[in-house]
Amino acid sequence: MESTEQTRPRWRWGTYRWLIILVIVANVFAVKAFSPVKPHIQVPAETIAGPVILPLIGDLYLTNTIIATLIADLILILIAFSIWRATRGGAMILSGVPQIFEMIVEAIYNLTESTARKWADTIFPWVATIILMVLLINWSELIPGVDSIGMLHEPHHGAPAYDTQELFAIGDFSVTTITGEIETESAGESESHDSEVQHVGSGLGFTPYVRVASTDLNFTLALALTSVIVIQILGFRAVGIKYLKKYLNFGRLGKLLFREKIGPFDLIFPFTDIFVGLLELIAEIAKMISFSFRLFGNIFAGSVLLFIIGTLVPVVIQSGFVFLELFVGLVQAMVFGMLVMVFMTMATIAHDSH
Amino acid sequence: MDAEAAAALADGLKFLAAGLAMVGTFGPGLGIGILAYGAMQGIARNPDTAGTIQLNMILAIAFAEAVAIYALVVAMLILFVG
Repeated sequence: MESTEQTRPRWRWGTYRWLIILVIVANVFAVKAFSPVKPHIQVPAETIAGPVILPLIGDLYLTNTIIATLIADLILILIAFSIWRATRGGAMILSGVPQIFEMIVEAIYNLTESTARKWADTIFPWVATIILMVLLINWSELIPGVDSIGMLHEPHHGAPAYDTQELFAIGDFSVTTITGEIETESAGESESHDSEVQHVGSGLGFTPYVRVASTDLNFTLALALTSVIVIQILGFRAVGIKYLKKYLNFGRLGKLLFREKIGPFDLIFPFTDIFVGLLELIAEIAKMISFSFRLFGNIFAGSVLLFIIGTLVPVVIQSGFVFLELFVGLVQAMVFGMLVMVFMTMATIAHDSH
Repeated sequence: MDAEAAAALADGLKFLAAGLAMVGTFGPGLGIGILAYGAMQGIARNPDTAGTIQLNMILAIAFAEAVAIYALVVAMLILFVG
C-alpha cells in the first residue's frame, strides 16, 4: 500500500499506523459496550460541596468551575516555579518546559511592546497572565476526564436521573458508569407536585468534578470587571486627573460660557463633546459585557458542541471537532489578551482636546 | 387544551424561538467576509506588512464575531434555561 506519487523521497506509511488503527477499533468496541448518554447541559455551574454561610455576603458554594480554576492556578504556579529553578543558576539557554515558556513569553512581550511602546512593562504582566490563564482553561475542555468524571448523588429537582452499572471496585470505592437515562413519570414541571416522583433506589444524578471554567459566567465576568477597572486605574496613573476629560468633556462648554469671542461652530461643539463623553462611559460598560460574553459564548458553545457530537458520532468525527475547539480556545485567549492590551494602551495616551 | 399538549406546544415554540434567534448571525458573517476581503487586498498590495495586517484582522474579526456569539448565547438561554 505504498504510494508512488512522489519520486524523491517515497512516502511511506508511518510506524504508528497500527497503534492508531488499534485505538480506533478499541473506540468502536467501547462505544458498543457503553454507549454514550445524552448529556445534561446547564448554564450555571454545578455545586460540589455545601454552602459556607458568611455573615455579610451570604452563601458560598464550592462549584466545579472553582475547582477547575484552582487546578489551572496550580499548574501556572508550578510552571513559574520550574522556570525559576531553571534560571536560578544563571543559565543563559534553557531547555525543556522552561524553554517553551520562554518562547511564549517572548512572543507576548514582543506583541505588547509593538503596541504599547512606553507602557509595555506595566501592561505586560496583566496581558500575559490573562492570556496564559485563559489559554490553559480553554484547553482543559479537551482533556478526557473534564466534564465526564464526577460523582453520583441523589437526583436534584429538574436534573435527569441515570441508570448506573458498576465497573469495578477498589476496596470500598466503586467506579461506576452511566448506562442510560431514566425517564421520570411526571409530565411537565413538577412544581405542583407535593410528593417526590422518583424511582426509589434506581436513578442517580451526576455532577462532574471539573468543568471548564470559561463556561461559567462568573469567571469571565470577574476577568472582564478586573480588566476594565485596571484599564481605568492605568489611565489615571498615566495622565492624572485629566483622564476624566475623556468622559466629562466640559472644556469647550467653558469656552462658550466664559470667553468673549465665539465663532459660529462654538455653539454646537460643546454639546456634542458632552454627548461623546457620555457615549465613552457607556462604551466602558459595554466593554465589560462584551469581554465576558465573547469568552463565555465561544467556550460554552464549544463545550456543548463537543458534548453533542460525542453523543451522536463518538467514533472518529469527534477528533475534527476537538481540533476546532483547540483552535477556538487559542484564538479566544489571544483575543481577550490583545483587546485588554489595546484598551490599556488607548487609556495611557492623553486624550487630545481641541 | 390539556396540560400535556400545552407542554408540547411550549417545547415546540422554544425550539422555534432558538432557531429564529440564530438569524442574527447573518450580519457578523457578512462583516467578517468584508473584513477578510479588505485584509486580502491589503496583503496583496503590500506583502511585507502581512504580519501586521493579519494581527489587526484577527482583532477586528473578534469584535465582529462577538455579536454572533451574543445571538448564540440568546439561543442557548432560550433552549436550556427558558
